[in-house]
Amino acid sequence: MAELSDKDIVVKIKNGEIDYYSYIVKKYTALIYRYIERRLFIKDETDDLVQNVFISFYKAIEKFDETKPVKPYLFQIVQNELKMYYRSKKPTIQLNEDIYLVHDGGINIIDDSYLNHLNKDEKKIFQRIDEGYSYEEIGKQLKKPINTIKSIVRRGRIKIKLACASKK
Amino acid sequence: MKKLEDKIIKKIYRMETEKTIGQIISEVSLTILLILSSLFIFSVIVEILNEQASFDLFDFLRDDFEIIRENFFNNSLLFVQELPLPLTYILIGLLLILVWLLYVFAKNFNNIKNKLISLYKFWFK
Repeated sequence: MAELSDKDIVVKIKNGEIDYYSYIVKKYTALIYRYIERRLFIKDETDDLVQNVFISFYKAIEKFDETKPVKPYLFQIVQNELKMYYRSKKPTIQLNEDIYLVHDGGINIIDDSYLNHLNKDEKKIFQRIDEGYSYEEIGKQLKKPINTIKSIVRRGRIKIKLACASKK
Repeated sequence: MKKLEDKIIKKIYRMETEKTIGQIISEVSLTILLILSSLFIFSVIVEILNEQASFDLFDFLRDDFEIIRENFFNNSLLFVQELPLPLTYILIGLLLILVWLLYVFAKNFNNIKNKLISLYKFWFK
């Protein structure tokens, strides 16, 4: 079996002899594991990512051109998996009423002086949030869709943050 | 590392088992459905032709070869004209799909056979 090249193995797998996939797994698991481990340091998640890499490769093997080498393709999948992993771990701020109402980074953005940086529409919405209205209620009052309200709040938040940063 | 490799291979086999069995079941059930509906439509067509006594057009086949030669083309044309066209088109469509399905099945037969052998070896040996 040692004489079988990656190309032969891929051809056999494409022909339905899926037991040959274990040779690919055995050949590249350690390499991929070390590569991912060096970037994550978390054993469980490394295991999951390595599994995902091999499953993705198996799903893509029908379209894989066997004349091309397997290793770069596998590492491209690793890169994509890592990218997805980092993206999933990126801290995100949910766009909801609480964002405006709570202290943000030690600065009380309810402070009225910050509202001067906002335009009329933004100011109106922020004041209503301050009064305890939900986005839905504000949308109904101003006859605007809820997503527009959320966008305006998001833009307003950015302006307030910039104003805070410049004041600091 | 061995544990992880086994885990990956098991996952791949589980995925492939689901995929292959699903594929076989869907192909076989589609083929059976097509055969049954073709047979049903064929029987309806035959029933209609019987009611119209269209098969009588071929009574001349019991006659001499000379008469057969003279009438074969005309009678066949008449018979075709008496066929219920919408049903005939549906039947032809179903048969074409069936042929295409059988062709795909025959083309993938080796692949599916190898997969089944591999799956059998993994799960039962």
